[in-house]
Amino acid sequence: MNEQNKELLSALIDGEVDLDNKMLDTMTHDQEMKDKWSRYHLIGDCLRGQLPEKISGYATSCVTDVLTNEPTVLAPQKSKQFNLKPLAGFAIAASVAMVAVFSVQRGNDVDPVSTSSSIASTSVNEIIAQPKTYSFPEVQMLPASVSDTDTPEAIANKRLNNYLMNHNEYRSNGSVNGMLPYVRLVTIESQE
Amino acid sequence: MSKASRELNYDGVFVYRLGKQVDTMRIIHKSDADGSIERLVSLTGHAREVIRDKDQVRCYFPENKAVVVEKSRLGKLISTYLPHPIKSISEFYIFEIAGEDRVAGLDAWIINIRPIDKYRYGYQLWIDKKSRLLLKSELKNQLGVTLEQIMFAQLNVLDEIEDALLEPSVSDKDYTWHHNENKENIDVTSNDKQWKATWMPAGFTMSEQSREAMITSHMPVDHLIYSDGLAMVSIYVEKLNQQPDANTGHSNFGGVNTYATHTGGYQITAVGEVPEATVKLMAASVKSYQ
Repeated sequence: MNEQNKELLSALIDGEVDLDNKMLDTMTHDQEMKDKWSRYHLIGDCLRGQLPEKISGYATSCVTDVLTNEPTVLAPQKSKQFNLKPLAGFAIAASVAMVAVFSVQRGNDVDPVSTSSSIASTSVNEIIAQPKTYSFPEVQMLPASVSDTDTPEAIANKRLNNYLMNHNEYRSNGSVNGMLPYVRLVTIESQE
Repeated sequence: MSKASRELNYDGVFVYRLGKQVDTMRIIHKSDADGSIERLVSLTGHAREVIRDKDQVRCYFPENKAVVVEKSRLGKLISTYLPHPIKSISEFYIFEIAGEDRVAGLDAWIINIRPIDKYRYGYQLWIDKKSRLLLKSELKNQLGVTLEQIMFAQLNVLDEIEDALLEPSVSDKDYTWHHNENKENIDVTSNDKQWKATWMPAGFTMSEQSREAMITSHMPVDHLIYSDGLAMVSIYVEKLNQQPDANTGHSNFGGVNTYATHTGGYQITAVGEVPEATVKLMAASVKSYQ
């Protein structure tokens, strides 16, 4: 599959171009392209939480391929499978979908209909506006208020603890894992 | 949005692992017309609880016999934090499906989020195919080593959650209540020294700037927040009224790295879920301007 076809495929999936006869012809005669088409859609569907109850055997084999070919460690090495020029539209949609996934986790009021239209037409703002977020409480009085008898080192430690908690508070609003900051709070004593 | 039919209630137990430390917690989440309410209870160690709804966050500390109440910052950051970084996420992280797995008896998709450079961490997420809830989450460094992990051992999506399940299990009668709901940030005036980081990894932008009173500090602390959409780095700038603290340099708390340095009577501390090099370089790059 050449660069041009990749671009075209990407644009197609994003709904930026219409499928004409020539494209259809290319699609049906290029096995690699057919595979990619299927795979991109599967990934997109998954990220948007739109997976069908049963995935066809063919699609499943694609996922298995991905699983087999992909290193599961997050090493900085480049992956063959995903090293093609980033599909900007898809990638953005994926990140938006991440927001959607965690909004469901946290706020449960993202409308799947609005997130599911087409990848390209999904409104970033619309989804972003949805997540309900919570703040991490500033437990400044506990356990970290400074007394005059504290050594400079103790003060520095407490200050750092406060920074950590304060950082967590903000993080819970925007991070991948909205739950984690609270989890840290509950366990933070063990870190002291 | 016709959301009623899609709102989820769930009750689950998960394990949180940080380095060698393992804790178990229960989370109960209820959504209804009044909004969401959630209760997080530690099942190991002190029976700390966090209960949050749309107005308040209450933290119960049985070992201190104390409750800390905070105002919910519901949505406060959304306008400033997003959407610019969201656009840049795809440039600095690669999203991919890594396969399928089972977590807490549920079928899940594994999603990898890999950074493209050494200045940020990666994530691996397990998403329940059916409910789309997050079942497991790992924060990973460049070598693929897991720094922090959350994993559900049991998760039930329920039609109803009894209100009693959202009440604190401790009797808070003799507890001391600390109310922080009304605390406001201090205005930054034009006469004050302003600070900014002059270096950050590609894709990071400043998403928020504030000046906050902190109980551990004699003076208000400048707080700058930088984000690339997934990772977040806080930079705290604080005037020192004594000799510099002994504690400068690097510290690590699971996935969080910190780096503290001094410049002209100010302490600068960077805190974030990013590698040590990132907090160090960012802290060292902070400059004042008028």
